[in-house]
Amino acid sequence: MTASETDRQLVQRAQRGDLRAFDLLVLKYQGRIAALVARYIADASEVEDVTQEAFIKAYRALDKFRGDSAFYTWLYRIAANAAKNHLVARGRRPGADATIEDVEAFGDAELISESASPEAVAMGDELAEVVEAALQALPEELRAALTLRELEGLSYDDIADVLGCPVGTVRSRIFRAREAIDERVKTQISGDSGFR
Amino acid sequence: MTVDDRDKEALSALMDGEAQELELRRSLDAIASDAALRERWRRQQQVSEALQSRRIQRPDIDISERVAASLSQRRTLSRNPVWSMAIAASVTFAVVMGGQTLIPSAEKPASPLVSDIGGAVVPVMGAQPVQASLGAKPLPVTNRQAQEASSAARQVGAAYERLARDRYLSLNGQHADAAALSHPAPYVLSLHKELSAPAEDQDSQ
Repeated sequence: MTASETDRQLVQRAQRGDLRAFDLLVLKYQGRIAALVARYIADASEVEDVTQEAFIKAYRALDKFRGDSAFYTWLYRIAANAAKNHLVARGRRPGADATIEDVEAFGDAELISESASPEAVAMGDELAEVVEAALQALPEELRAALTLRELEGLSYDDIADVLGCPVGTVRSRIFRAREAIDERVKTQISGDSGFR
Repeated sequence: MTVDDRDKEALSALMDGEAQELELRRSLDAIASDAALRERWRRQQQVSEALQSRRIQRPDIDISERVAASLSQRRTLSRNPVWSMAIAASVTFAVVMGGQTLIPSAEKPASPLVSDIGGAVVPVMGAQPVQASLGAKPLPVTNRQAQEASSAARQVGAAYERLARDRYLSLNGQHADAAALSHPAPYVLSLHKELSAPAEDQDSQ
């Protein structure tokens, strides 16, 4: 089972009208979709509007999503079209033309770094620093489990093989690693940081 | 583990696509009624993105040419008949020379294989003491026995030859691997070391 399998499950539920499932998808992808929209549109409030519009369009079109491609790829197309239509409606020419190949070839990090505002970049950098520091502060066994999951994309079964421990232990270690990082991130958010 | 922790762990597994259908349903219910859990999901997605997009610090090195050269050299050595023959010849020479000191010549009168020097009494538990060779004549070796010994020596020589060749190739490979790893290596090396550490006990199971 993979993260896209979770997407598939959530999409199936959303297709049956479960808004809670769609809510999780919005929470998961809103940052990346906003970064994509910001490639076309400079104004921050317009970016929010178009991002919201993209998710609404996606929800309405969810019946047409057959799962031939990944949910994010499908959502990406909808968001890119929404951004272009927004510019056309405002009498502006679409700017940089982000394509599906952009996502596949360069990934989201590059998209964000090229398109986000300086504030957003600063906040992203700050978050990255906090996460990095929290990761380094983790006990070795927790850090190894989380790193193999997040950076290497290994399944729990594969991580269990690599670390030589039961799958349940892997699951527990990854959870505890996330807990520890989350504590640091929460503290940062409630402090003087601007990222939310 | 509390119910709250179980929900959080299920949420973590859900992020990775490792949650069961039942856990998915339970997570959806829990998130719908718990704003903090919903916020956690959002925050942990951000953390996940930050982790996945983080730049891995890499030393500015290019060892590709050295690796290619090392591999190429290794391949050449293993295929070079001159090297193979030289090794084989030296091993064979050593075995033959060594063997000649032990194996009697078939042309010569058979020489004793046992010592001319008198033996000692060997005490064995539960057995009568045996006088090994005191006062006895050395055992003669026949030509047939000598030929058999010579054949055995040739087989030993061939085995030594194979062993020497395998050992050479193995050591050469180990040397190349060690040389590659002794340079500033990327993140993978440090992770490899971490993972090679003794396995921890099962945490919080």
